[in-house]
Amino acid sequence: MAPTTRRRFLASAGAGAAGLGLGAAGGFLVGQESADASANGTGSVAFYGTHQAGIDTPAQDRLHFAAFDLLTEDPAELQELLREWTLAAAEASAGEMVGDVNDVPLAPPDDTGETVGLLPSSLTVTFGFGPNLFEKPGLGLAGKRPAALKPLPPLPGDELDPAESGGDICVQACSDDPQVAFHAIRNLARIGRGTVAMRWSQLGFGRTATTSRSQDTPRNLMGMKDGTANIKAEDTEAMERFVWVGDEGPAWMRGGSYMVTRRIRMLLEVWDRASLQDQERTIGRHKYSGAPLGGSDEFEPLPLDEQHNGHPLIPVDSHVRLASAKENSGARILRRGYSFTDGVDESLGELEAGLFFICFQRDAAKQFVPIQERLGQIDALNEYIKHVGSALFAVPPGAKSGGYVGEGLF
Amino acid sequence: MNLKMLCAGTALLLVLSISACGSSEDAPAGAKQVSFKLTDAGCEPHDTKAPAGPITFEIENAGTAKVTEMEIMDGETILGEKENLSDGLSGNFSLTLEKGEYTIYCPGGDDERGTLIVSGDLKAQNSPQIEKSIASYRTYLEQNTDKLVAKTAPFVAAVEAGDVAKAKSLYTAARIPYEKIEPVAESFGSLDPRIDARENDVPASEFEGFHRIEKALWEEGTAAGMAPVAKQLQADVEELAAKVKTVDLQAVQIANGANELLGEVSASKITGEEERYSHTDLVDFEANVEGAEAAFEAVKPLLDETDPELSGEIEADFKMVFAALEPYRQGNGFVSYTELTKADTRKLAQSIDTLAEKLSQVPAAIAQAEHQ
Repeated sequence: MAPTTRRRFLASAGAGAAGLGLGAAGGFLVGQESADASANGTGSVAFYGTHQAGIDTPAQDRLHFAAFDLLTEDPAELQELLREWTLAAAEASAGEMVGDVNDVPLAPPDDTGETVGLLPSSLTVTFGFGPNLFEKPGLGLAGKRPAALKPLPPLPGDELDPAESGGDICVQACSDDPQVAFHAIRNLARIGRGTVAMRWSQLGFGRTATTSRSQDTPRNLMGMKDGTANIKAEDTEAMERFVWVGDEGPAWMRGGSYMVTRRIRMLLEVWDRASLQDQERTIGRHKYSGAPLGGSDEFEPLPLDEQHNGHPLIPVDSHVRLASAKENSGARILRRGYSFTDGVDESLGELEAGLFFICFQRDAAKQFVPIQERLGQIDALNEYIKHVGSALFAVPPGAKSGGYVGEGLF
Repeated sequence: MNLKMLCAGTALLLVLSISACGSSEDAPAGAKQVSFKLTDAGCEPHDTKAPAGPITFEIENAGTAKVTEMEIMDGETILGEKENLSDGLSGNFSLTLEKGEYTIYCPGGDDERGTLIVSGDLKAQNSPQIEKSIASYRTYLEQNTDKLVAKTAPFVAAVEAGDVAKAKSLYTAARIPYEKIEPVAESFGSLDPRIDARENDVPASEFEGFHRIEKALWEEGTAAGMAPVAKQLQADVEELAAKVKTVDLQAVQIANGANELLGEVSASKITGEEERYSHTDLVDFEANVEGAEAAFEAVKPLLDETDPELSGEIEADFKMVFAALEPYRQGNGFVSYTELTKADTRKLAQSIDTLAEKLSQVPAAIAQAEHQ
């Protein structure tokens, strides 16, 4: 059966309704295909490849992230799930409808339908495995657990809610159309029903990082440019050195990466009351230009050793200083986070909003953890943020067409 | 980009100055005058010196068509400028500058860049009212740190004696004076975390101070092992009391401190995170607000000069916040945080947000007072 693009389906369904009535079911297969726009934002990103998509892909604008608990301890069921998820994710990424049965009048369609007529919109679907997956005796994966997949240690400033943390399997769906990202998570959750249960999920409405030199630096909800000094995908040397797992990892993880997610609630009401001067000193950059304090260009190097009238130009407790590679023995991470809002904080009547931080690295214990240990203790930003959710996932390498993500585990 | 924005962006470099950023046509009282002539060569003098504080730059075009403006820059950032001074015209602008080296930039001249060296101390520039405001807050500050030392002593004694019940009864009395002046304590680096860190703020080995003892008393139900922690706490609050006596205070800083206290309320008191074992968060809540009110009252005369309307609104909002807290008063203190419903905390949070939004306008408003 040939894949059904969502645009094609729409065009033919319209024709069917006009002239052919019920008998036209299935007629979409021969419908005339619309010219697929491949312009930035609407085109498709290859699902299969050396690495999973959604890491070195230029960060899309929208996110729907979900963490699932595995309900079975039967390895065959887990493999079957991963096989089905891989197929569905590949279909959705290509802008095709998910599943085979989408036109049987008496059957609910496989695809939930909300993306019919929408373009692929740069959808990427990225899968990861949490430490706890390897603790389930029935699965027999204990010996496969990489040393780097140790649960994150308690970090200073943590205010974690277990209900918004952890998970056995995660799915990161990114797209330039929020409905396309939502559709991916919804359909995977449906396919997994009975095998997995969604533990928590997070919508992100705007990217807060730049992962490609082709992108402008976006602003986070504090109004600050975020991700200026991020690793860029074009910097393949940095990607190899800091992001992709190499020979140090087990075979099934080589070419993969480790993903840390942190749900960071911003106390926006408090931040908004801070003077411009305090905001800039907290971050260590000028608000509007994004330049380091005292500078005028966003991309000029941080003058960490410079003094101004007897004080360090970039304050000792400023976020950029503490997070800089120079102050972290050279450690860097690939950030790929999103701004979120989930309505009103019930007990405060304030905006429940912030940053859903995502980062990728070769080893979280050597990269994210030491950076956050310092940030959590003395970052001036801590006055305005709370880390309320946390998770670590091993993101295996990409699948080949015909294979499935995580296949190397079994 | 407008000048106001540029100006605000550089204000951080002049950290403690009261009128951190001012470029105005009216010369501030007592401003040092520095005169320049625009010539084909650039600006005359090429280099000059001035004392820290308000400086008025008088510029006259002495017959050049090449140079028609002068800028004072800090690095590449323009702090102040006078433009469009064609032959025969003159003009001026004023800046308050801290000690340092600045660039005199005269675009178009043969030699465009000269150096302005500013030396000396800014503090002497305070008006009598500013000095009065600072003195009044200093008194409040010292009263509270003295009280902190006095009220911590019996608490520490009870902990050392292993008397859990007595220590619990003395806990909040020691906390109150600290919570009133917390932003000042925070300016002394590691002193605040030693005295007041919550369990997850610091590595386990560094968890000490009030909240370590709070945890022992309320959660562990014993003071065992707490004697050294208590002893250190007493030493730390004494160190704080000694340090505040020499701390350099500025009016804008005091006003900022009021904001920070309300930020504390929003971030950790309304959420019950501060006193997570004793649940005495509302005691801290009231102390933070009282501390903010005292800081505000100290600088209020300055605000009354520039924005009496805002001043009146803030006074009314303080009353509103205290009124919102009133239903939860119980005995000498307040009900346990655990008795509050989400609707209760929501109402309290909203009252703080209302007040704090206005209070956050005070530092800029009183910095303005300096130029009048």
